[in-house]
Amino acid sequence: MLGIWAIVALVLVAVGPWVLPTYMVNGLIRAFLYAAVALTVDLLWGYTGILTFGQSAFFGIGAYAVGLMFTHVGFGPGYATMAFIGAVVGAMLVAAIVGWLAFYHGASPLYGSVVTLVLPIVVSQILYSGGNFTGSSSGLSGFESFDISIETWFWIAGTFLVLLTALAWLFVHSDAGKVLVAIRENEQRCEYVGIDVSRVKILLMVVCAGVAAVAGYMFAGVQMVVAPEYAGFVFGTELLIWVALGGRGSLIGPVLGTLVLDVSTSYLSGNLPFVWKLIIGVAFVVVIVALPQGLMPLITGFVRRLMGRGGAARSEPAPMLAAVEEEPFAGLQGAGSQALALAGVRKNFGSLVVLDGIDFVAGRGELLSLVGPNGAGKTTLMRCIADGGERSGGSVRVNDHDIERLPPYACVGFGVGRKFQNANVFDSLSVAEALRIARSRLERPSLLRRADTLLLPEAALQVIRATGLDRDLQREVRHLSHGEKQALELAMVLALEPSVLLLDEPTAGLTKSERTLIGGILVDLARNHRLCILLVEHDLDFVREISSRVIVMHQGRIVLDGTVEAVVDSELVRTIYAGGMTPRSGAVA
Amino acid sequence: MATLLDIVTTAAILFAVGAGLLIVFGVMKIINFAHGGFLTVGGYSALAVTRLGWNPWFSLAFAFVIGSVCGMIIERLVVRPLYARPLDAILATWGLGIIIGQLITLAFGREVQFVQSPVSGAVELLGSSYSEYRLLLVGIAVILALVLGAVLNATRLGLVTRAVIMNENLARGLGINSGLVRFATFSLGAGLASLAGALITPLSSVDPNMGVPWLVNAFMLVMVSGVSLVSLGVACLVLGGAQVLVSSWGNPILGGLTIVVLAALVLRFRPQGFARD
Repeated sequence: MLGIWAIVALVLVAVGPWVLPTYMVNGLIRAFLYAAVALTVDLLWGYTGILTFGQSAFFGIGAYAVGLMFTHVGFGPGYATMAFIGAVVGAMLVAAIVGWLAFYHGASPLYGSVVTLVLPIVVSQILYSGGNFTGSSSGLSGFESFDISIETWFWIAGTFLVLLTALAWLFVHSDAGKVLVAIRENEQRCEYVGIDVSRVKILLMVVCAGVAAVAGYMFAGVQMVVAPEYAGFVFGTELLIWVALGGRGSLIGPVLGTLVLDVSTSYLSGNLPFVWKLIIGVAFVVVIVALPQGLMPLITGFVRRLMGRGGAARSEPAPMLAAVEEEPFAGLQGAGSQALALAGVRKNFGSLVVLDGIDFVAGRGELLSLVGPNGAGKTTLMRCIADGGERSGGSVRVNDHDIERLPPYACVGFGVGRKFQNANVFDSLSVAEALRIARSRLERPSLLRRADTLLLPEAALQVIRATGLDRDLQREVRHLSHGEKQALELAMVLALEPSVLLLDEPTAGLTKSERTLIGGILVDLARNHRLCILLVEHDLDFVREISSRVIVMHQGRIVLDGTVEAVVDSELVRTIYAGGMTPRSGAVA
Repeated sequence: MATLLDIVTTAAILFAVGAGLLIVFGVMKIINFAHGGFLTVGGYSALAVTRLGWNPWFSLAFAFVIGSVCGMIIERLVVRPLYARPLDAILATWGLGIIIGQLITLAFGREVQFVQSPVSGAVELLGSSYSEYRLLLVGIAVILALVLGAVLNATRLGLVTRAVIMNENLARGLGINSGLVRFATFSLGAGLASLAGALITPLSSVDPNMGVPWLVNAFMLVMVSGVSLVSLGVACLVLGGAQVLVSSWGNPILGGLTIVVLAALVLRFRPQGFARD
């Protein structure tokens, strides 16, 4: 399918210069290059959710590499190559710095956008202040450039755009491409399945910067003029407008949107200079408010209806399920004897102490239940084990590795798997895709293909088979029931092959039979797979049935730690659950 | 001495420009990129007053009213559907800025024009002469801060607004009409932006894109200020001061970058910026 479309597009590019008027050929060359940059904006914003104002800066860097080299140094094949390398490497370096600044662990999406907004302002101001070297506000022009006819430029730029789009298409439909969507949908869950989100974002930014710089390089080569505006913030927002109107997250939409809008602008802005820009502005606002997915879905929907293919059902076949050879301690240097060891763990928000001096050790094969009233600090304790940045003091060791201040994805690397209290999944991915995202830490996903088998550890398979999810692998997660989402998240966590499993009320909202089922699986994981399971649970009957040990927490401290019989029937637990354990009434009780 | 006055007056101007954006961000948690457009509206309101031959002082009230009315219309039509999509709200309000700029271009032309200043001339201050209007702006900014602070802290409207800032769901549960608070906030923010636009035009000139550079600086200042008027004041003094120093001892173009670059760095190493935790 992709091959046919790409060939059609290449044929169109090939015949273009012969049938189109010269003015249009010129305009399209520019539009092809803008579209290439818009494509990178779509990858960053439409697919990954990074609202970027800064791709214009990389385009400008590519263009100025040409302008500066050909104006000040000289023109020739050697210089052209040097300028090319300078453009790409320079843009990528800048992108790496910007990415490091914008996507540090825990950065808000707004901060990322702030940085991408600062970038083009800084780059264009530097160009303005460059005096004769950068040509200041008038830029550089009249430099000698490639002796290539306008038709050939059309073919070069058109082929570049078609190949780039095809490559991007393969990428976003590959297993690795789904990681981008997963990050957009739920960055937190990505961190907790072991994906270093910051690194993925920075890498993507670097690659997109390189592509934008190549487009800028060609732009300067064909236009023989560069100006600070091409690196500026306003051009950066114009790219966003093209992508938004075409349809973010659809690749073809932004490309067509850019081609149509840029070419029609060059025709219409002569006749209706201000009205045209006003129309674009109005269309942009209307699309953002009323049609967030842009105009592309309207067109594809219309085409589908014409061709009689209805529905949004996914047409690809479901992947085959298979069990994988488990390697629980893969990548760890020695697992030590204790699965989990906490010493003096403390957490406070300002003067409010939520956890105070938590010490305990848990071994493999233990199924340890954490009980206590709301606000006792159970969930906070889970957080402190799964994210090194959470606790205020004390130490946490997982499989004999100190988690220090490391972010969640690194804790996953030590063997932690955390299931959240509310089903925390990826709404717009399919069940199979979500499971594959959870496997991506252990099996590097392909950048161009989607695998046709889905390898999962036995326990994860057991969960999805028992809950019937194996028949729904192609279903979008948003359409699952609450119980199915809970089961999917559990399966995703098990797919990580964790050795320390943190479960926060895994049975909340489940039916009695589902609860029994999950209980059975947990007991099996602890007994036969020797997992250390830490369970937060309010249902004391459930706790009694499956636990091997119970820890009672109250007001941020451990008040009891022992076997099921000793703890569940104790007077203390009853008082706490009856709400009488405050210092004053405690004496009465 | 002149440098010190420059710092204080620059901070005052930045505060006036940023206040409207801060109020909207604080209450609605969205960034109003039409803020630059509203500044432009204010500038052209002042221009209209000049053309009509009215007293230049009147332009302040006129700009505030025009800006608020624009804000009311826009809140209803565009901003309301975007409460749940903050990043999209940035884009939609940016689009609104384009629309405002184009409408102004159609009505007034795209050329640079000049506005009559309410006061002109210079005063002798501690041995050097200084623009009277810039000094006046310091007073206006202080009055603006006091009035906003008083409204927020001493009126029922302010109490309700602060409740929405802290916990909108809870406020709604307590029977506060948060939709109305948002509506009032957005039109107040737009009115303040427009007022600021009228205040800054006598310093330079008006053109349809005059709002954009101000928007970027105001945005960065609000980002480092959190939702507090006091920290906005501190941020304006510190970053505005840095801008003045870099412009006078370095070069003006680098000076123009000072606020954005410093603000981005401040946020990188201290995400809460100038706000107290």
